[in-house]
Amino acid sequence: MIQIESLHKQFGSYEAVQGVSLSVPKGAFLVLVGPSGCGKSTILRMLAGLEAPTSGTIAFGGKTVSDGGRGWVIEPSRRDAGLVFQSYALWPHMTVAGNIDWPLKVAGLDRDKRRERVGEVLDLLGIGQLADRYPNEISGGQQQRVAIARMIAPKPGILLFDEPLSNLDAKLRVEMRTELLRVHRATDATSVYVTHDQVEAMTMATHVAVMNGGRIEQFASPGELVVRPRTAFVATFVGTPPANLVPVVNGAYCGRLADAALAGRNGSAMFRPEELTLAEKPSDRTLTLDYAEASPMAGRVMVTGIRGDLRLTAITDSLPSFSVGDEVHFQLPPAPSMFFTPEGVRAQ
Amino acid sequence: MKRMMMIGAVVAALAVPAMAQDVDTLSPEALRTLAQKEGKVTVYSFTSRIARVEKAFEEAYPGIDLIGFDMSSTEMITRLRTEAAAGITNADVVYVSDAPVVLSELLETGLLKNYVPPRIADKLDTAFKSPLLAQRLSTKVLMYNEAAYPNGAPIKNLWDLTTPEWKGKVLIVDPLQRGDYLDLMTEFVLRSDEMAKAYKALFGKPIELDDGVETAGHQFIVDLFENDLVLLASTDDVNAAVGKLGQDQPPVGFTSYSDRRDNEDEGWALQVVSDIVPSNGIVFPALLALTADTKNPAAARLAIDFLMGDDSETGGPGYAPFYVAGDWATRSDIKGHPDAIPLADFKAWRVDPAATEKIRKSVGDLVLQLQ
Amino acid sequence: MIRVPPSPSGRGASVLSDILMSTQSRNRSFKDAFLSPGLGLKAAVLVLLTVLVAAPLLKVFGATLAPGAWSAWSDVLASNLSRNLFWLPLANTMILGAGVATGCVLVGGFLAWLVVMTDVPFRRTIGLLATLPFMIPSFATALAWGSLFRNARVGGQIGFLEGLGFSVPDWLAWGMVPTLVVLIAHYYSLAFTVIAAALATVNSDLVEAAQMTGAGRRRIFLGIILPVALPALVAGASLTFAGAVSNFAAPALLGLPVRMQTLATRLYGMIEIGQAERGYVLAILLILVSAFFLWAGNRVISGRRSYATITGKGGRAKRFALGTARLPLFVAALSICVLTTVVPVAILIASSLAPSSSALFSDWSLHYWIGASDPAIARGQAGIWNNPLILSATGVTVGLGVTVAFSASLVGLLVAFVLARFRSGFLSAAINQISFLPLLVPGIAFGAAYVALLGAPIGPLPALYGTFLLLVVAATAYLVPFAVQTGRAVIQQVSGDLDESARMTGAGFLRRLLAITVPLAIRGLSAGALIVFVKIVRDLSLVVLLFTPTMPLLSVLAYRYASDGFTQFANALTVVVLVISVAATLLANRLQAKSQPWLQS
Repeated sequence: MIQIESLHKQFGSYEAVQGVSLSVPKGAFLVLVGPSGCGKSTILRMLAGLEAPTSGTIAFGGKTVSDGGRGWVIEPSRRDAGLVFQSYALWPHMTVAGNIDWPLKVAGLDRDKRRERVGEVLDLLGIGQLADRYPNEISGGQQQRVAIARMIAPKPGILLFDEPLSNLDAKLRVEMRTELLRVHRATDATSVYVTHDQVEAMTMATHVAVMNGGRIEQFASPGELVVRPRTAFVATFVGTPPANLVPVVNGAYCGRLADAALAGRNGSAMFRPEELTLAEKPSDRTLTLDYAEASPMAGRVMVTGIRGDLRLTAITDSLPSFSVGDEVHFQLPPAPSMFFTPEGVRAQ
Repeated sequence: MKRMMMIGAVVAALAVPAMAQDVDTLSPEALRTLAQKEGKVTVYSFTSRIARVEKAFEEAYPGIDLIGFDMSSTEMITRLRTEAAAGITNADVVYVSDAPVVLSELLETGLLKNYVPPRIADKLDTAFKSPLLAQRLSTKVLMYNEAAYPNGAPIKNLWDLTTPEWKGKVLIVDPLQRGDYLDLMTEFVLRSDEMAKAYKALFGKPIELDDGVETAGHQFIVDLFENDLVLLASTDDVNAAVGKLGQDQPPVGFTSYSDRRDNEDEGWALQVVSDIVPSNGIVFPALLALTADTKNPAAARLAIDFLMGDDSETGGPGYAPFYVAGDWATRSDIKGHPDAIPLADFKAWRVDPAATEKIRKSVGDLVLQLQ
Repeated sequence: MIRVPPSPSGRGASVLSDILMSTQSRNRSFKDAFLSPGLGLKAAVLVLLTVLVAAPLLKVFGATLAPGAWSAWSDVLASNLSRNLFWLPLANTMILGAGVATGCVLVGGFLAWLVVMTDVPFRRTIGLLATLPFMIPSFATALAWGSLFRNARVGGQIGFLEGLGFSVPDWLAWGMVPTLVVLIAHYYSLAFTVIAAALATVNSDLVEAAQMTGAGRRRIFLGIILPVALPALVAGASLTFAGAVSNFAAPALLGLPVRMQTLATRLYGMIEIGQAERGYVLAILLILVSAFFLWAGNRVISGRRSYATITGKGGRAKRFALGTARLPLFVAALSICVLTTVVPVAILIASSLAPSSSALFSDWSLHYWIGASDPAIARGQAGIWNNPLILSATGVTVGLGVTVAFSASLVGLLVAFVLARFRSGFLSAAINQISFLPLLVPGIAFGAAYVALLGAPIGPLPALYGTFLLLVVAATAYLVPFAVQTGRAVIQQVSGDLDESARMTGAGFLRRLLAITVPLAIRGLSAGALIVFVKIVRDLSLVVLLFTPTMPLLSVLAYRYASDGFTQFANALTVVVLVISVAATLLANRLQAKSQPWLQS
């Protein structure tokens, strides 16, 4: 449904997006995730038609909507796409119903059809009783719903979300995640969702593009990302908690703990948190770090230690009584589950 | 011992009013000594010529600073009243016109005191010595541009000013801003009989008064305004508009005859309309007085003495700025200016302060209504 | 500038400290434990404000109710004089107010839209130029107009255009049209600043969301941008209306020669000729008119809808591409700016040097600036440098500006501190209301009120008429709202938490003020003080009635010279005022580091 081919975007001398290509089928829920400045919002705006690519093409359903090389862009309203802004962008001088109605008016629908449609989406989002209120009279979560209602009222084929949940408090965020998915399924559309929160990506997406520095680190399903991360960045970005990376120098962990399994390589070794255990005493298979924090999770306990640049998290069953200043001995399993080259790419 | 002191105190007490009386009778030389101890005198003047008097005074009496402020008589009267209400006395000498208001609002309320310098007391008519000293007579009369009308004034009858030919071409200073002009308007009303006669002389029939108009004089004022009488802010504006050289059909206006003195410097051709029925305007006194609470009594009296002129024929440096055609000295021993029409032959009406004061306010309200 | 984010625990800390204080107070006297904190301070500030602001207004009202003065009310409102005393001036005042408000919103709004939302070239320059006219006093612009357009109706010097041979019609040289033009040219920069600031906060998301719907540029402008900017438009209209209604200089210089009176000029005229009661009645009526329209404007803006746009990742403001209209619109904007800033100043300077304003650019001479008295020129008036009255006027004016800058800043800081610290309670509400009262009162009415109040001795206190102190007190009272605004901005910079942590140490109020608040806020305070200085130096309406010959002021002298026909001196004096005014304003803008975000991109 959505096809992106070698997309580039340059602002002056700054390259925001460098050669991104991906494609998702109809009905997919694509999440673009990555740290700030990785280019995900820029891609979203190019999908919306608010920015033109410097080079590369975007196609919806086989029809090219943006062609950077030839320099033409189909305007936003003719792309059959809708956008929810991070700030919701509700027009403050119109009521909730007015906000939803205006785009339909612009599109030329007659009064009856408009009224019917406005009622439909208000009910779908469960905000029918807010129809006559003004944006400043409703809560953040309610504004969020109005923004979504406004977007889907014209029945777009593609839904675009720009970090829609980042202004909400934690509990509301969890609730709204479910809501968004429900709306996505109810409208039968293809969604593209931008966030910096990997939890949202992991729980909502059918397809995830992990981005860093304008490039795609890995484009895969959520499960694939956890099981087979393509780069060290992906390994330490996704997952709760994310995987551990231990630097390997000349076949020795941290340069001191030699291991034949490493066969003299250089790079980083990946251990999943559940693969590490805590030892009472140091040994030749333990790394000693300073205790940082411990927190309960799903009936077990995550224990984290830090020393220098190295940060390790292990999952154990019982809550050990550590306090600040104690040392924690992390016991390594016989072999790492994955190995990355010094460039950060998965090795064989 | 005690008795001696008591007598001494009584004598001293008696001497104080005697000394105060002394100041009024002192000669200029004696005043000068006292004045130099006081050091300065502030004069509120209704004419800007006070600047020249200032210069001459400080040359004649070095060591005594004469500070002159010029403002219109109307403003001066308001200021003096406000300052008095505030208990402040800024001015020592007041040189002001608009006698009707000055006499009723400043003299009778005790804000001003009369002073006649003994040196010239015998050279003045009683009318010019009381109730306040009059230094000269000034005018507000109709004037025209003699360069544009070399064969004499184009106006022969006051009622000409209300004809279509002169629509929008008659200038005057706003009577509500300048009291002398309000006195002029009031004079039209006071001389209604003459105005009625002049109307008949021009239009051939007796005057018919509009509804609500009481006299011929009132009617004249109404007609003037209806004929687009132009109100200006100052006499200089009138002078420039009327007198400027090079105009084809300049307007006429009511201003001071004595402003002719500036004709050469300013490039004007002002001339008074002298042959006119019933009159060309008013003649009124310019008054000199002391403020009742002056802080510099000797210097103030010296200044008044100086302004009255010295013993020469033309009045000397103190009177020089006023020795022009169109101002007549009240002193009988100062010769008239060679270029001037003698006062006896001048057709203007003399202002009667008491009669003017009575109806002035209602004439002012009429003007306000017509504006 | 220190920015401390308000901590959610702020209120908690305040409650905590209050509890601590009250437990401490059990050791003090019984009285202390019962009175609310800061009662003494609040009462003192309230008394101060009452004396400064409320008293003169009440006095002027009372003066018209005195037994002898009753007739003034009927004279003004219901006699055959009323037409000229009140109704015509009222009509002119309303026309002026409405016309100026409309013109300013149109011109200021147009320029604001251009600078903030489009890609017109040289945005920064236009944006800067558009804020300058407000620095030029309105009597300066009026004099400049006169030098250009004056015709021969009122004699005296004719203007430049007539001198060139054009015949300037009366309606262009005098009366309503020039007054409207001059006031619009002066006040539009006020509307520009307000509207530009509002447009800059219009989140670009709102526009992009509209773009997503397919709405064309025109529809977006009319349906989204304009309505969202409405509060700013109304605020701009309101402020410029109030300014036009209370302005004295422009109608006095341009309207009186054709007998066009406004309430402000009528009021001045009545007091000048000694009919003070009628003047006071007019003053009260003027205040009522002005207050009503400001209140009405406020009502329109406030209401259910709040236009506070949610800040978020608003992102780059995408500007409207003007296309082919780019150059013509730029030229139009630049012309407006140049005509209202550069041209009046140039004319003023030229006409202070030219002996005849009909030939503005010939025979330039420095006589009017530094010449000695010469009877052949301008009836012997010496150049302004040599005129002792003008020199003393300069001293008094600058001295007044500096003194009032201090006193107003002090009062403003005090009031702002009290209002920030004690937000609730009847006293605080009263302080709040009274401190903004002068905004509703036109300067000339305020001057009249002060003459009424302090013109005569009050009991044992001597009268202040004609004293420097009167000018200081009246000017301070008049500028209290601006000073409080500055004070508020300054106090906000210093978070309440900082002050409260000092309170916990037991430091007294004054010590805290001097050691914590003032040092942190000195920049904002200086800028505010400079603005007060400028407002006083170039003000005419307030001081024209308080002027006495012994307390001369530059602006009033310029006005009087102009009225007396000494145009060159008037213009030279105005240039002096202008230089002081512009220099101080630029310095103040520097200090405030007022960022103009719409110029960033």
